[in-house]
Amino acid sequence: MIPSPAPTIALEAATRTYDPGGPDQVRALRGVDLTIPPGEVLSVEGPSGCGKTTLLNLIGLIDRPTSGEVRWDGVPVGSRGERDRARLRLERVGFIFQRFYLLPTLTARENVELPMRAARVPPTERNRRASGLLEEVGLSGRERAYPHQLSGGEEQRVAIARALANSPGLLLADEPTGELDTASTDAILDLLQRVRQSRSATLVLVTHNPVVSRIARRHLTMRDGAIVGDVTEA
Amino acid sequence: MTPWGLGGALRHSRLQAILAVAAIGAAVALPVVLVSVGGGVSAHELANLENAGYQIVISASGIHGIENAHALAHRILSTVASTTAASPVLSIAIDAFTATGGPTPILAEGVIPDQFTPTLGPTEDGLFPNPLPLGDPTDDLHFDNGTYVGPATYDVLISTPYESASGVKVGDRLWLGPVANRSQAIAYNVTGTFGVPPSLLGPTGAFAIVLPLSDLQVMTGYGPAPSAVIPDAADTIEVSVTGSVATNPSALNAVRAQVQALVPFYGVSSLTQEAQQLQSASSVLTGFYLALSSVGISVGLLFLALVLLRRVEADRRSIGVRRALGLPGRSIAAGILLDGIVLAALGAIVGLVAGYLLVESIATWAKGTVKEAASLAVFSPPVLAALVVGILLLSLLASGVATRSALKIDITEALR
Ligand SMILES: Nc1ncnc2c1ncn2[C@@H]1O[C@H](COP(=O)(O)OP(=O)(O)O)[C@@H](O)[C@H]1O
Ligand SMILES: [Mg+2]
Repeated sequence: MIPSPAPTIALEAATRTYDPGGPDQVRALRGVDLTIPPGEVLSVEGPSGCGKTTLLNLIGLIDRPTSGEVRWDGVPVGSRGERDRARLRLERVGFIFQRFYLLPTLTARENVELPMRAARVPPTERNRRASGLLEEVGLSGRERAYPHQLSGGEEQRVAIARALANSPGLLLADEPTGELDTASTDAILDLLQRVRQSRSATLVLVTHNPVVSRIARRHLTMRDGAIVGDVTEA
Repeated sequence: MTPWGLGGALRHSRLQAILAVAAIGAAVALPVVLVSVGGGVSAHELANLENAGYQIVISASGIHGIENAHALAHRILSTVASTTAASPVLSIAIDAFTATGGPTPILAEGVIPDQFTPTLGPTEDGLFPNPLPLGDPTDDLHFDNGTYVGPATYDVLISTPYESASGVKVGDRLWLGPVANRSQAIAYNVTGTFGVPPSLLGPTGAFAIVLPLSDLQVMTGYGPAPSAVIPDAADTIEVSVTGSVATNPSALNAVRAQVQALVPFYGVSSLTQEAQQLQSASSVLTGFYLALSSVGISVGLLFLALVLLRRVEADRRSIGVRRALGLPGRSIAAGILLDGIVLAALGAIVGLVAGYLLVESIATWAKGTVKEAASLAVFSPPVLAALVVGILLLSLLASGVATRSALKIDITEALR
């Protein structure tokens, strides 16, 4: 399958306030300007609660900015309706979560096939691709295992295979190794690096682990809903 | 795996699923019982009507209220075309004594033998000897133009249940009187027996005798004027018509009108009318039962909606993940809809089976009229199918409620 091209992503004065005006109002992002060229590997660091996940959700079109705009290749998509954004997420974004979020009632293979099914990939093609992906993440032979039968490292491998299912140009990983031990962390980082490289995809990596951010060339630092550092290695 | 991997109806929260199925099952079982038993009884009554050998019936408002029955029967036959028999019937409970036993209360039917026989329907036909061995086929000898001075035959037919209960045989004598006093009873010759069709009335009508109309009239004081309260009385006159008229409602109605003109003070109805009335009453009743059942069905569906809502609540995280991955809302709706339909369908099956078993066990174990009614139950596929389709359609409402709540889940919230 032809990978969907990585878009140039631009956040323009993007803010996100939860429960605006309400008793639990939280200003999670306070006017972020950011441009991510295609194929870049970017880490987002900062203390817990500073708005990293919120930023990632805006980039990946899971959430809409309270004000400001999110553009893909110059097209304002951030404030589009849920239906449009869902379609873009399905076809062009791969999400990897800290707690894996595999569907517990589905096998490893079914989890990987789920996004393809939604994208109406024909069954034989789906099957072939899922096998290829599970092999790529080193889980051939575990296709029929349910998530509870897998180790944390294995679960995250399935989640990475699922994120790659529709060959997205944009990979978003939210503390992908937060629940893993050191050995698994290294293996998952290697895997992420490898799959990204072979697809020339953009990778945005949220972490507060310096070991993780080493695979990135550009490092953002956040504090209290704002970007306070933006360093690109030579 | 369901198409969207939404767990499958029975894969988790099994107890809730079982309870939902049970609630819908109970809601379905009730109308199954009511409609099939009600419909069965109506169908049985209808069949009785359609199997009658007469098509028009004359009745009076008072008890034994038809006057001059013999004369009326003759007049109908001689003046109304296409009538083939006019059979006055007088039904009175009297007392019977055997040589050694009695009194036994017994239902006596006074008839004109050669008029009575043609008014028997196909099911009753075989139960009576033909012709009736009552000696005086036209009942004219004893009646003697209303003077009742002619010779009576004193012949009587007894029902087989009474025959076996009393031990009285054909050829024996039986004493019959209007009161429980042997000295006022008259001796009759038992000249034959007749069977009693199984009926909803059960054994009450089973002890019966048939004798000439004039005999019963004299015995009970409904005979000769002027001593009789009602001279030459009968309860009904059943009128048969020729086959072509019997099967043609408008022709039958024309004949009915002619008969009515002869007896303006009595009620005259045709059985097609009664059948139609019964049919519409039965469909009204079916509707009523369904309305009654709608209460149970509403409760069952509410329960289903609650179970589906709880499931959505329990699946918040999974639903959030699906939506985050970009799966369309309709795929999530489809999963919930499928869950709802599977549960509703299982409930409907449970309800059909439970209703059927309930009716069968009532028919087997209950007593009296209830048992009789249950054994007449008719399980009509179109009605039951409509019921199931209705339940499935309504389950879409319950699923809709749950779907709405699923689609309202905030993704960022569900993934926190
Ligand atoms: N869905 C939400 N509703 C309300 N407040 C939220 C929500 N998500 C995050 N927050 C709040 O917004 C702030 C930023 O959260 P988040 O972006 O998750 O930070 P991080 O990922 O850096 O830990 C926190 O104070 C958090 O409690
Ligand atoms: Mg976070």
